[in-house]
Amino acid sequence: MSVAFAGAAFLLMIGMMLVGIPIAVAMFVVGAGAGVLAFGMPFLNSTASVVWGVENENLLTSIPLFILLGELLLRSGIADRMYVALSAWLGRLPGGLLHTNIGCCALFAATSGSSVATAATIGTVALPSLYARGYSMRDALGSIAAGGTLGILIPPSVNMIVYGSLTNNSIGKLFIAGIIPGLLLTLCFMVFIAASSIIKGSAKQEELPPLAERIRLLGNLVPPVIVFGIVMGSLYFGIATATESAALGVVTALFFAWRAGRLSLDLLQNCFMQTARISGMILLIISAAFILNLTISLTGIAGVLTKWVTSLGLTATTMLFALIVFYLILGMFMDVLSMQVATIPITYPIVTALGVDPIWYGIFIVLMCELGLITPPVGMNLFVVHGIRPDKGGIEDAIWGALPYAVIMILFTLLLMALPELVTWLPAKM
Amino acid sequence: MKRLESILANIFGGIFLVLAFVVTVETILRKVFTFSLQGADELGSYALAIGSVIAFTLALTGRNHIRVDVFHEALPRGAKAALNWLAITLLAAFAVTLVVICSKVLRETLEFGSTAQTPWATPLIYPQGVWYAGLIMFMVVALILAGRATYLLFNRRIDELNVEFHPKSAKEELKEELDDLAHRSAAPEALAAERAVDAGAHK
Repeated sequence: MSVAFAGAAFLLMIGMMLVGIPIAVAMFVVGAGAGVLAFGMPFLNSTASVVWGVENENLLTSIPLFILLGELLLRSGIADRMYVALSAWLGRLPGGLLHTNIGCCALFAATSGSSVATAATIGTVALPSLYARGYSMRDALGSIAAGGTLGILIPPSVNMIVYGSLTNNSIGKLFIAGIIPGLLLTLCFMVFIAASSIIKGSAKQEELPPLAERIRLLGNLVPPVIVFGIVMGSLYFGIATATESAALGVVTALFFAWRAGRLSLDLLQNCFMQTARISGMILLIISAAFILNLTISLTGIAGVLTKWVTSLGLTATTMLFALIVFYLILGMFMDVLSMQVATIPITYPIVTALGVDPIWYGIFIVLMCELGLITPPVGMNLFVVHGIRPDKGGIEDAIWGALPYAVIMILFTLLLMALPELVTWLPAKM
Repeated sequence: MKRLESILANIFGGIFLVLAFVVTVETILRKVFTFSLQGADELGSYALAIGSVIAFTLALTGRNHIRVDVFHEALPRGAKAALNWLAITLLAAFAVTLVVICSKVLRETLEFGSTAQTPWATPLIYPQGVWYAGLIMFMVVALILAGRATYLLFNRRIDELNVEFHPKSAKEELKEELDDLAHRSAAPEALAAERAVDAGAHK
């Protein structure tokens, strides 16, 4: 199969996705279509065992379990209460409550993988009070839109499970690898908020509540911290696999929901429905992605592409620069999960052949997805924060507000390219 | 339909809740008492197989199967309707194809009487039978929806078609989140935000 044919098939797939054909269907049509063209109808027979194999893969069981975990913490109100506690501690920094937005998003991210739920929850709690206190809406919207993207970098992250399963990498290592970059990026965001508010001379600072009150509020942080500790601790020390750690997390979250007096049939049914819908969407896409993967591996197209790219004499660094531009553009138009599944089967063999570390590349991909969440015209988080702003203003405020964070993310990616140990050091210790 | 959906969601949730408890007990027994129950892994993979086909159906009725809507909004209503019809029809065709090709998995299991390569040696026909039934359910629901879309298209009920089958927008997803937020906290902020989104949607 030639490079031109592969290019045409890829463009056809992206084209189908862009006109609004469901992502899973577009991947299946191109994957199965190219397979049948290359090998005839018997190809379809071999896809049957792929479909059963994917849906019978214990590793992927962690996807619905992690989604259920996030839903339980979110819908039992455990996550909402974190905001109150964090604002009591972080409001004193220059930039005031904007730090709370970032900190809360980061902590929320540690328990949930959904960026819409993160941005909507934090935004709803935060925006009216930010507005009432006279914070610039642009700054406020930007901080929440950008903070929300941390959800997929800070583990547990469904996007990392998708990457791990498509490329056969350890989910545990990916999760652990996300911790240092996740914390560093959070820190970069906060430094930016402090610096820009000092430079603009508009540094807001909040009065802190009395110490006793602040210590009492710390209690709100206990459930998410313990859930995170159990999930990541059991992974890091090799006590549990990704699926087992997700199960431990679900049981712990159920306990906290029960302790908070929120565990009801109604809550459970609501969580079940949401979990089923999100998992169904993701798992159907993954099933289709594995069929596409089968075509890619059987036709040897990845090898042809890799040879072609290496014949161009590209180094790993130039390739990564090209990929940043590629994902930046693709992310402007595509939803991040679709972007991931559509491109990883092709880009992964190429960059790993050029000597890029597979775990490092997983973090790179996740960062590119985060960028896609806040780049217009299709930046999911921009729509979300715009949708809940209390005043009447245009979406440009969210776009401009988030722009500095997009620049920070790109610079941060360059930093990870210069110092890949920031990603690879911690998982190597496992 | 709502009733069927909530029954399915409860089955789905029940499966994973039970699984979470079994896996937790297994992990603790294994690490603390070095005693293994055996088979929690296997149970997890069957849970996924059966859970995923139920989830496919629920994602279908909830219109959660992602479609990119960036250019969709800009199109005239006729073109929108044609694409909405095409999207659901192709999805139904995809479901039919899955059912047809996956029948091979079942046929082979029956032919060879296959069992799982695990200590339990589960006859695979049990989990696969349930899984396949779920896949058929997904196909039937997709066909019903595609039939409905075709009916609307042929009767030139374009606007109805667009209302029922358009891609879910960020605004809709946000509204669902805010509904839930308002429900769980009865927070005045959430209600106010929800009203603002409603007002925006009617503009």
